[in-house]
Amino acid sequence: MLQTSNGTMNQSQVENKRSMLTPEQSAELKKWLIAVALKRDKQAFAFLFKSFAPKIKSFGYKQFNSEALASDLLQETMSLVWRKAHLYNADKGAVTTWVYTIMRNLSFDMLRKMQTSKEDCLSDDIWPIVDAHAADSDTEAFSDHLLKQQLAKYADALPEAQKQVVHGMYFNELTQEELAHQLNIPLGTVKSRLRLALGKLKQQMEKNS
Amino acid sequence: MIKHHPKHELLTAFVAGELPAALNIAISAHVEMCEQCQHALAALTEAKAEEVFSVEDFSVFESLNSDLADELDELMIANITSQKGEYTDELVDVRSVDYAGKQVVLPRALNSVDWAKFQGVGKLSRARLDLDEGSVRSYLLQIAAGGSVPMHTHKGYEVTVLLDGTFEDEMCTYNKGDFIWLDESFTHSPVSNNGCLCLTVADDAPVFTEGLSKLLNPIGRFIY
Repeated sequence: MLQTSNGTMNQSQVENKRSMLTPEQSAELKKWLIAVALKRDKQAFAFLFKSFAPKIKSFGYKQFNSEALASDLLQETMSLVWRKAHLYNADKGAVTTWVYTIMRNLSFDMLRKMQTSKEDCLSDDIWPIVDAHAADSDTEAFSDHLLKQQLAKYADALPEAQKQVVHGMYFNELTQEELAHQLNIPLGTVKSRLRLALGKLKQQMEKNS
Repeated sequence: MIKHHPKHELLTAFVAGELPAALNIAISAHVEMCEQCQHALAALTEAKAEEVFSVEDFSVFESLNSDLADELDELMIANITSQKGEYTDELVDVRSVDYAGKQVVLPRALNSVDWAKFQGVGKLSRARLDLDEGSVRSYLLQIAAGGSVPMHTHKGYEVTVLLDGTFEDEMCTYNKGDFIWLDESFTHSPVSNNGCLCLTVADDAPVFTEGLSKLLNPIGRFIY
């Protein structure tokens, strides 16, 4: 193996391929998405919406040859961006890749519904959005993946303020300083919320293992 | 060790969502087992997303502060942001199939697919996936130890993803995870000495089964 981990390889590929959006623009998109994930920030969402809407509409129009269906695709895609923002993992790739996956999947299921008698939604199992594919397919990675899902569930049950901090640190990979800045709270508060949250998570994991 | 992979063009079409469901499922099944293709796929998806969302039309970067916002867009934004966020992904169920006295975990791509009962002739047994895609037919196929498929060729294409076990044909030995694409330029007769479980997808050209009676030639109906 040339690479030591998926992360390093993906990172270098990302750097090479990012010719169309400037790094500043990509960083902007990421900032907005993380703001939606952490704070349900409506303004940041509006920026994301306006960035992606024209392209999603024209992609949809090419797929369905219908303005109405293109608009449905836009609505459905951006709804999922809003509702799943906290599942975006900055480590796994660019915001554009994440949004593209959501849009392509929805579009595939819509087309299938039109072309067959089937109401099944196959796309999220074919192209998983919460990225099971990116993990190594050996058992260790698999159980690690399960553990992560379980942790994510416990983290979801934390009080709002603590949840924000845990999500920011572990899902969005922000530093404590960045988080303090994003949430507009003192660094000390970030630290104490984190300590409380981790204590609770530890308790939960011990209780259930 | 996986040696057979989908071609670059096929992965590209997979990323673009241009293939029939059955082929998508076959490719996804292979990718789940193949680290090399996981990397290739990550890079292709990244590139495709960049292409689709290319910068020229990223209107926000020009009009962010202008008040030209479309009223309909504003309505849609208000509508979406009035929803609760916090979508929780459920744990993904794992499905398995019993064959040759053991349980084989199936690829995630088959999670929401139904299939008919396994029906067998001799050492071959197959279950048709219920995907409703016209001429594209897909099966879970088991070959019991020592079983073989008689010499045949293909109209259109035939894809086999080996989910468990091994089989051989005149060209090579195939292992778990291999993705094998054959077309009419190949004639082969696969043999599985120790048994295997595959996912097969074929674009079943009508001429292929023409005149073949199920009763007179059950094997004929059997060849993908």
